[in-house]
Amino acid sequence: MSDIEPSRQSSGWLTGVREAMPLLGGYIPVAVSFGLISTQAGFSTAETLAISALIYAGASQFLFVGMIASGSPLWLTVAMTLLINVRHVVYAPNIAPWLPQSRWWPWLMHGLTDQVFALAHSRLPQLPASRRVGWFFGAAMLAWLSWIAGSLLGAVAGEWLTSRWPLLGEVMPFALPALFLVLIVPRFTSRRWAAALGVTIAIALLCTLTGLTNIGIPLAAACGALCFYMIRLPETAGPTRGGRP
Amino acid sequence: MSLSLWIAMIIAALGTYLLRLLPLLWIQRRLTRTDDDGPVDALPKWLVILGPMMIAAVLGVSLVPRTADVPGWLATVIGLGVTLAVWRRTRSLGWPVVAGVFTFGLMVVATRMVV
Repeated sequence: MSDIEPSRQSSGWLTGVREAMPLLGGYIPVAVSFGLISTQAGFSTAETLAISALIYAGASQFLFVGMIASGSPLWLTVAMTLLINVRHVVYAPNIAPWLPQSRWWPWLMHGLTDQVFALAHSRLPQLPASRRVGWFFGAAMLAWLSWIAGSLLGAVAGEWLTSRWPLLGEVMPFALPALFLVLIVPRFTSRRWAAALGVTIAIALLCTLTGLTNIGIPLAAACGALCFYMIRLPETAGPTRGGRP
Repeated sequence: MSLSLWIAMIIAALGTYLLRLLPLLWIQRRLTRTDDDGPVDALPKWLVILGPMMIAAVLGVSLVPRTADVPGWLATVIGLGVTLAVWRRTRSLGWPVVAGVFTFGLMVVATRMVV
């Protein structure tokens, strides 16, 4: 298989940008919060931007600046940051069957966040192979740049923004659950899948409500997978639009 | 930031990047070896199941509203209902999200005025 030509990739990147737009509703308010907290913790604007651009993993960034500000040992800060991000190891293998050969993938993996994975996992199988590199580039780049821009905004004007438009910061993040709902609904293809996915959502929700957000994602997903293997409900055929098993 | 802090940050960044990259390199080698089976069949079954579960988990984590009071939860439930209804009609990504966020915002404002 030869590398996908750049001209064919370019036809997909605009689609990727367009389809990743809903992510902005969740990314920008959270990035603004990070920028604000980071500067309040004593980091400069440039340092805040470097953390957002290079680590680029929401929850672990909050932990990183929080632990540094509280005087935790550096090795422990790094270890905890990586521990939170361990969940990323299952993302690339899950989308790998739909990644055509290209020398760009190793670089593009920097953009494989929770949200970009969820979007890519649903959309890549539906796209022709020639548009997938471009699509991923467009979606991941928009998400990355919006995260950096939001962090900058938060670092230089976070306090002013949150006091002037408090409702905006409360409403816009709803774009994330709305998007994930749209991405996961086509997977409810049988009672077995519905039960496993329902258990996963419920456990993740409970973990968040009890302050265990970081462990919530891998723990809930593991419980859901276990549920899938343990239960033997009749497989009822349903709509399989855009879905895999 | 001091030099040691910069080094710690770069190690954290590099480690996070490798957590995303190395599994790709591993699975690509596996896919190349088992190309005849088709790409999805070459994936371990647990991995195929874990993918949708991770998305469901991210959904569960994101469901908690910023202000987790009665208006916040009510707006979340109704917003999700509208998102689902619009998705069933359009089967698209963008419009259901726009409709859901708009409804959520309206509900937050409306319920705060009543409750």
